[in-house]
Amino acid sequence: MSEKGHYKNRIELLQGTLDMLILQTLQWGPQHGYGIVQALRLRSGDVLQVETGSLYPALHRLERQGWVQSEWKQSESKQKARYYRITAKGKKQLASDLGRWERIVEAIGSVMYVKPEESAS
Amino acid sequence: MKWFPSFGFQRRSRELQEEIDAHLQMAIADRVARGETAEAARQAAMREFGNIPLVQEVTGDMWGRGWLEQLGRDVRYAFRQLRKSPGFAITATAMLAVAICANSTVFSWIDGTMLRPIPGARDTGDLVSLQRGERNFSPVPPLSYLDYRDLREQNHTFSGILAYHHDWITLTGGAKPERVFIANVSANYFDVLGIKPMKGRFFLTEEEARAAPDVVLSYSLWKTRYAEDPAIVGKSIEVSRHPLTVIGVAPEGVVGAMPGLRDDLWVTLDPLGNDGWRMTHRDGGAVWLNVIGRLRPGVSRDQAAQDLDTVMRNIVAAYPDQHLGDNRISLDPMWRSPFGANGYMAATLPILLAFAVVVLLLTCANVATLTLVRFVSRRRELAIRQSLGANRIQLVRQMVLEGVVLSIVAGAVALALTTWTSKTFAWFFRASSSPGTLNGSMDHSVVIGIAVFSLLAGILCGALPAWRSSHAPAVEILKAESASISGGSSNRKLLSGLVVAQIALSLPLLLCSGLLLRTLRNLAGANPGFEQDHILTATVGLNIAGYSHDEVQLIRHKILDRVSALPGVKVASFTDWIPMTLGHKAEDAYPEGYVPHPHESLQVYHAEVAARYFESLHIPILEGREFTPDDDEKAPRVLIVDQTAARRYWPGQDPLGKNLRIWGRIFTVVGVARNSTHMFVNESPQPMVYMSFFQEGYENIVQVETEGNPADLAPAVENTLHEIDPRLPVFDVRPMRESTQLASSFAVIQSTLAGMFALIGLVLAVTGIYGVVSYRTQMRTHEIGLRVALGASRRDVLRLVLSQGVWLTGIGLAVGLAFALGLTRVIARLLYGIGANDPVTMVYVVTVLGAMSLLACYFPARRAMLRNPVTAIREL
Repeated sequence: MSEKGHYKNRIELLQGTLDMLILQTLQWGPQHGYGIVQALRLRSGDVLQVETGSLYPALHRLERQGWVQSEWKQSESKQKARYYRITAKGKKQLASDLGRWERIVEAIGSVMYVKPEESAS
Repeated sequence: MKWFPSFGFQRRSRELQEEIDAHLQMAIADRVARGETAEAARQAAMREFGNIPLVQEVTGDMWGRGWLEQLGRDVRYAFRQLRKSPGFAITATAMLAVAICANSTVFSWIDGTMLRPIPGARDTGDLVSLQRGERNFSPVPPLSYLDYRDLREQNHTFSGILAYHHDWITLTGGAKPERVFIANVSANYFDVLGIKPMKGRFFLTEEEARAAPDVVLSYSLWKTRYAEDPAIVGKSIEVSRHPLTVIGVAPEGVVGAMPGLRDDLWVTLDPLGNDGWRMTHRDGGAVWLNVIGRLRPGVSRDQAAQDLDTVMRNIVAAYPDQHLGDNRISLDPMWRSPFGANGYMAATLPILLAFAVVVLLLTCANVATLTLVRFVSRRRELAIRQSLGANRIQLVRQMVLEGVVLSIVAGAVALALTTWTSKTFAWFFRASSSPGTLNGSMDHSVVIGIAVFSLLAGILCGALPAWRSSHAPAVEILKAESASISGGSSNRKLLSGLVVAQIALSLPLLLCSGLLLRTLRNLAGANPGFEQDHILTATVGLNIAGYSHDEVQLIRHKILDRVSALPGVKVASFTDWIPMTLGHKAEDAYPEGYVPHPHESLQVYHAEVAARYFESLHIPILEGREFTPDDDEKAPRVLIVDQTAARRYWPGQDPLGKNLRIWGRIFTVVGVARNSTHMFVNESPQPMVYMSFFQEGYENIVQVETEGNPADLAPAVENTLHEIDPRLPVFDVRPMRESTQLASSFAVIQSTLAGMFALIGLVLAVTGIYGVVSYRTQMRTHEIGLRVALGASRRDVLRLVLSQGVWLTGIGLAVGLAFALGLTRVIARLLYGIGANDPVTMVYVVTVLGAMSLLACYFPARRAMLRNPVTAIREL
């Protein structure tokens, strides 16, 4: 199996989650690809290490779906970079992703933390 | 490698590159700020980022692509796949190229002959050729000038009707007389054909019926004999010792209105004004014109025929005595016009094209088999692609594209091959006295034909396996290693179907070629009823060289005396016709006192022969006598009839002494000759009357019976003729056997091509069955190993593998036989001395095909049998 297929599998696995994480990051203001990686790493306490091979395809797909928009701007360190900004459509998507995420966490949680007496019955 | 560059794609690629660069710059800057050295920071950032080209590629996938980019990618992928299996790619391309070339070659022949019956003419689809009387495969000119003029002037359905008479003549005035082919034409000839002069002008309306010593040259004659003289118009040239003025030159490629035959010169109907008799009579020798009409727009051929029929009925009513016999008019489109070569072409070429299409189908089935086998072994790859998100349409498109790429390459190869093979058609026609111009042509319609054939092939080869494979559920394939053992039952059925199809398609090809080859052998072995092995013929252009009538008779006698005296010559005689050379002369003949019914055809073939003609050809005179030197112009006119004519006119009576009226003159029968072949060995016998050469002969063909090889005597005969008069034009000095081979040209074409196609078919069918059986046996290696390990004998293994081959072959042969019985009926007309369902040929062909197929199964079976079961089981 090719490396390309490997990456694709990872995208598929993370798809919903990664999209949500990116959109959430952009809630705090326009950001470039490198910035998104750093932000996710910092906020997750170094747990979430997003690979570029997943990030860029995801960003370009989100743009194609109209959830983000991009433009070229100078960064504070005079570096020209492509900044992504969340759109109104993207915000709606984020809300629905978040809702779904919460339901999943709740559902998984209720399975994982079952009280012993209930399971015995 | 960019096949289909596109601005959008390139711009986005560039931007992505910049985006990645920015990412790396920022990462490096951060690391440097944390105190790393520039070099270490760069390396770490690169490592962290990962494989840049891969990121670019997977990101690029997210953009979605234009169809052009998509196609470019698919084509690249197809090439990559084909490069991975060069054996398959080369085999499939070669087979397809041969099959496409077979089709395009036959098509180029059809295109060069039937589809372009009159080179240079405008809209030949609107042209029709006219026949009068009983429809005939090789008719004689149908109309007299006066009848033609009445039809031309009184019809309501034609925008124009032309008339011509094709003949040969000599160009004198040069060092050596040169034979050229000439047509006497109506003044509107070039107008009706829609041809404009390249130089000068064509004929004027007022020149038609009066003496107009004008001549139009063909482009090739102008080029070869007059060295492209730019001032040729207005000059005088000598034709048959008469000066004619050149008034124009026809454009390049124009060769006249008789399909397949060439004219070098055109003159009016009576250029010298000395042929008044022919211009003012309606019967006998005045019936000399071939007629072609151009239909008015919107008029059908049937309407036009009815219209002309009405006019003709009025003419017959006005001149009944000049129109005895059958006078009905019928019209043919030029592609199958019986005047010229197209009648023969129309009987041969479409059948060959049908064979070639069968070869193409067969090849597609074969390539599809190969492709399918390949796809089955590639199905894990396909399944992975599918599970990675490639949808079914994409996969099918990809696979069809591989077939299309193969066949486009094959089409290109076929195109190159066809430029050569299209010109091989002329090889089938021996040098003869007819100015044949038959050959294939490579023009845009052939190229389009090739493109269509190859596209068809590509779709047939690619779509079937693709459709098949795309239905395989990806999950099943990925999880089940077991599926690979037999390749899945539906694929097995499809493969079997393809093998059966290949056998079933090749059987009719083999059967037809067998029948045609035996026909050829029968034709060659048939007794034509006359001796042709020790005969030499030579044509002397006496009456076209400008001699007076008395001079001609004197020279004829001199020729007989001198040639007879040559050592090695047994008998010398004269005739004005050679049998089996695709030509004949015909005339209406009436027994004296006989009143024919209206529309009763009394046409008979005729030939004018001198004394000892029958003796030299070994045709027995059954009753009465042969001609003698005394049967000359002063003696009463005499006839010798053949058996068919005797039976037709005087059934149950003695024909000797009976009278026949031909051209309004009375001939008395003095002999009956045995029937012999006139045109083709397989003709239905036509009544023939022989007239005395010194009474009615026109063309002068010296016919010599030799003691040894006739070719050896050719120089001596030619010398003798030149000694008599050096100005005598002498042509076509050749053994009769060579001339009569012309009659079997078409049988040779049919059997040669059918044989080649059948051989291709046989090879394809056998390799097809071999490929499938060996593939399947390989797939079952594991199973066979188990069987052997469990106690099956080698004989059992052999039987197991062979049995599937036997089944497939059996079904294929059965289906093929049914198919063949339908197809052989189509060629029944071409056969001679053998039935379309000849059991011997059938048994022979079935045996050969069956035996070859079984042999093809035997080798994989043997391999399986000899395998060590232990390694076979391990190999999974």
